[in-house]
Amino acid sequence: MLTTPQPSSAPARPELDFKWPAEGITRAPYRLFTDPEIYQLEQERIFRGRSWNFLCLDVDIPKAGDYRTTTIGETPVIVTRDHDGEVHAMVNRCAHKGALVCLKKQDNVANLTCVYHAWNYGLDGQLKGVAFRNGLRGQGGMPSDFDVAKHRLQPIRTEKFCGMIFGTFSEQVENVEAYLGADMAQFIKRNLDRPLRVLGTHSQTIHNNWKLYAENLRDSYHATLLHTFYTTFKVNRLDMDGGIILSDEKWHHVSFARRAKLQEAAEYSEAKVHSASYESALEGPGLLEAWEEFDDGITHSIQTVFPNMCIQFTLNSLAIRFFAPKGVDKTELFWIYLGYDRDSEEQSQMRIMQSNLTGAAGLVSLEDGCINEFVQRGTRNDPECASFMEMGGRVAESEKNSRATETAVRGFWQGYRGIMGF
Amino acid sequence: MSSVIEKRVTPSSDDQYREAAELIAAYGHAMDDGKIDLWPQFFTPSGVYHITTKENQDAGLPIGIMRCVGRGMMIDRVKAFHTANIFEPHSYNHVVGHPTMSYDKATGCVMARSNFQVVRIMESGRMDLFAAGKYLDVIQREGGSLKFRERVVVLDSRNVDILLVVPL
Repeated sequence: MLTTPQPSSAPARPELDFKWPAEGITRAPYRLFTDPEIYQLEQERIFRGRSWNFLCLDVDIPKAGDYRTTTIGETPVIVTRDHDGEVHAMVNRCAHKGALVCLKKQDNVANLTCVYHAWNYGLDGQLKGVAFRNGLRGQGGMPSDFDVAKHRLQPIRTEKFCGMIFGTFSEQVENVEAYLGADMAQFIKRNLDRPLRVLGTHSQTIHNNWKLYAENLRDSYHATLLHTFYTTFKVNRLDMDGGIILSDEKWHHVSFARRAKLQEAAEYSEAKVHSASYESALEGPGLLEAWEEFDDGITHSIQTVFPNMCIQFTLNSLAIRFFAPKGVDKTELFWIYLGYDRDSEEQSQMRIMQSNLTGAAGLVSLEDGCINEFVQRGTRNDPECASFMEMGGRVAESEKNSRATETAVRGFWQGYRGIMGF
Repeated sequence: MSSVIEKRVTPSSDDQYREAAELIAAYGHAMDDGKIDLWPQFFTPSGVYHITTKENQDAGLPIGIMRCVGRGMMIDRVKAFHTANIFEPHSYNHVVGHPTMSYDKATGCVMARSNFQVVRIMESGRMDLFAAGKYLDVIQREGGSLKFRERVVVLDSRNVDILLVVPL
């Protein structure tokens, strides 16, 4: 038995006075974006509950002794690789007084040592030694029954999937692949199931509740209305065909655009490389130099994994986005741009140029950095009002033929209500 | 500094340094005055503009936050700023430190490094320190004047507040 106290999963507070509107998942009360009590409850029921959380990539900690720090919800987390190549994750909080143990984003260390009183842990988080355990000159020291084996950094269950390391506080949640469901797992394998290479990272502070970004990623309705780069530059988009697939629990989704098949046959059957290049009114058309990477004709996709990550494939620009809640009205959005080990120099260059399309300065999507803040600011004084989301119907179901729908947003709320017990 | 001064091998390099310092200053002023249309003209036709973070640069990673290769891509950025991108109106105030420079005789280029801080001013009156970092410039004579052949903007922080649409 560990003596380190484990957080209880039972809410230790009186029941929240909150009722979802009778209209169900077509409404999201604005209070969800501003209420600190709901935010706290999410930390407990979602991030410390039955969810898998993206921690980092396997290639972020390639060597024994490598560590990476991140967060699950707002809980600070360490991910390590030990000398057997095993990956461990644990809460970044000393078992003694609760100080952060690792302060850097990443490092390579022999062991984990808390700077406060030099409590020393193995790469698996097990306590190995305590300074002055036997006191000094026969004075002080720990009681004789003190046992290092009974203390450790609070462990987090981990699992690898397609080069990503996920963590959970839950012993009950199924494995990652089952958590994703067959359709979602298959699409992640399409995009990530081969040796990955990080091409660059940055982050963005967005001044809104994390769920507004979660909605925004699933909102295929806004794509061509808010983001007008492609239409402004008359980018010849042959990829109007597309749809949305929801996971069984509706809280993960894939939204994809596919190149129209007729055009594909007529224009792209000969040369493979550059075959996906776009005609446009761009002065610098090198921006959209692209190649067809897959045989399924899908040119753009956004895939969310509940609660707070997404995988984008915008032409050849592959990236993981991870959005970490930093308070009820603040979120840090991380961009991790990826390529494959097998990429040629020419392919890498195309991914590099196409990275201009997304991110904090993304030509296609930079609006998302402010649009959710506009909602936050527009709604914060009216917690009892609610958003209205009936585009494409009132249910959350996959929609194979149209992206003018809010079905995936409703799907998010269906999953959210389930895990929150709302 | 002495090593830099020693590199001033020809009298003309003094003029180059003075002109290069003026180019660096004029760039910041143009951005602060909202003259974004002038931005591509600060570069040679095949000039490179790259915004990245110290973290990416230290790790040797090629993707940062913005990358333009050639004036055409810069002109597209300007057009997108005017007609495609949506954001809350804001302006910048650059404070650019005194550059350290060296002259590459082989290429005739001035290499310059200057530190900067940029304050962002929103229409509400709110002002924030938006960016701090360094400019790493390769400056070349083109026609009668100096232009950036390469301007790498290295941000000290990995994090951008809200979004970045006006070049730094």
